[in-house]
Parts: sequence; structure tokens; C-alpha cells
Amino acid sequence: MSKNKLYSLLLIACFFGYMYLGFSIFNAERNLNPGIKGCLFKNITTIPCPSCGTTRSIQLLIEGQFFEAGMVNPFGFIVAFVMLTVPVWIFADLLLKKQTLFNAYNKTEHFIRTKWIATILIMLVLLNWIWNIYKNL
Amino acid sequence: MESQKVDMYMMMNSKFFESHHLVAVRDTLLSLDESKWGMVQTVPFKDPTTALIISLLAGSLGIDRFYIGDTGMGVGKLLTCGGLGIWAIVDWFLIMGATREKNMAAFQNSIL
Repeated sequence: MSKNKLYSLLLIACFFGYMYLGFSIFNAERNLNPGIKGCLFKNITTIPCPSCGTTRSIQLLIEGQFFEAGMVNPFGFIVAFVMLTVPVWIFADLLLKKQTLFNAYNKTEHFIRTKWIATILIMLVLLNWIWNIYKNL
Repeated sequence: MESQKVDMYMMMNSKFFESHHLVAVRDTLLSLDESKWGMVQTVPFKDPTTALIISLLAGSLGIDRFYIGDTGMGVGKLLTCGGLGIWAIVDWFLIMGATREKNMAAFQNSIL
């Protein structure tokens, strides 16, 4: 994938992420029923997917309830971290005319493709999924 | 390389590439040395149809992207429920093209 394509994709993803987060907080503050249930998997199968509850987790993080956020879905930490760092990193790269994020992305991709790391990560995702189903998010 | 061999290769593997790649693949093969034949023949290509089936069934978990070797995008899809379902649906239409692009990259890497 080219550098420009990756950066624009990440920016679009972050933009929609913030939009959805804002929409969720807006609804939660007014005790409105969240009109859109994003998860395609859950809508079809009624079983929560591994990342169900990420938005709720981030909402708790914003309120400063770190432990509760981890209990809802630990993925919230990863997504919050990515959403906070990526836009800043991209703009820094654009200003300095470097491609540190692109290089880091490629290195990370290469790193998590190592067999034993991939196995551990897949196991963690599966465990999180089982936990999600158990919690009935 | 002999044109007979190249034509056989093209017949067997044309479904793995975009149609606009085919001419380039054929020309590259014709200009290659005979000793590269073994390497070119053993490149593992991903089947676009399989990728589409995976995308339809498990697209919102990002498994289609993992399958074609796009690990970073796969993680992104997994963490966001397939981009709130939207990215998953968009990928039903993009995944076959993405697979063919990845195959072309694998082909080009094999002849370096």
C-alpha cells in the first residue's frame, strides 16, 4: 500500500471514529436510544463480536473510569490510543515531510506476522470474544 | 522463456491477476531467463473467489484482509467491528481487486 493511501484511509477512519463517538456521547447524555447499532455481526447473529463494546469502553475512558473501561472491552484502550496518536502523527509527518508513520506501520505489520506473536494475538482476541459473549455486551 | 511455457502459465494463472496486468505479466515472463521458471511457478497466489467468500462470511472480523496478507488493515477492521459494518460492506466489492493487486506484488517480488 502506498503512503498517501494509508494516510488518507487512517484520517478518514479517525474522522468517522470521532463522529460516531460524538454521536454516541450526544445520545447517552440525553438518554436517547442509540438509533444506529453499528455491528453488522451482532445484528445478524445476535452474538456480540470481539470488538463489541469498544465505544462504551472509550466513553468510560473519557469519564476517567479506567478499570470499568477495561472490564467492558480492553480493545477500547487500543482504539483510544490509535485515535489520539494517529492524526497528530500524520500531521507531524506532513509538516516535516517524513514518513515515520508509514515505516512504523510496515514494521508493525511485519512484526505481528511472526508466527508465535500472531498465535498469541489470535488467542487473546478469541479469549476476549468468549468473554464478550459471556458478558453478553 | 519459451512462449509455449508462458502461455501455459498464463492459462493457469490468469484468474489471479487484474486483466490490465496480464500483458505486463506475459511480457515479463517472455523476457525472463529460463532458470527463473521454477521460482515463478511456485509463487503461492491467493484466490480472489476464496477471498470474496471469506469477506462475505467473516468480513466484519477482518479475516479477509488477514487472508490476503493485509495484516494492518485486518487489525483495523477487527478492532472497529468492520468499520461499523460499512467498511465490511465496501470490502465485499473491493476485496477481489485487492487480492489481485497483492498477487501482482507477489509475482513481481518473485522475479526480483
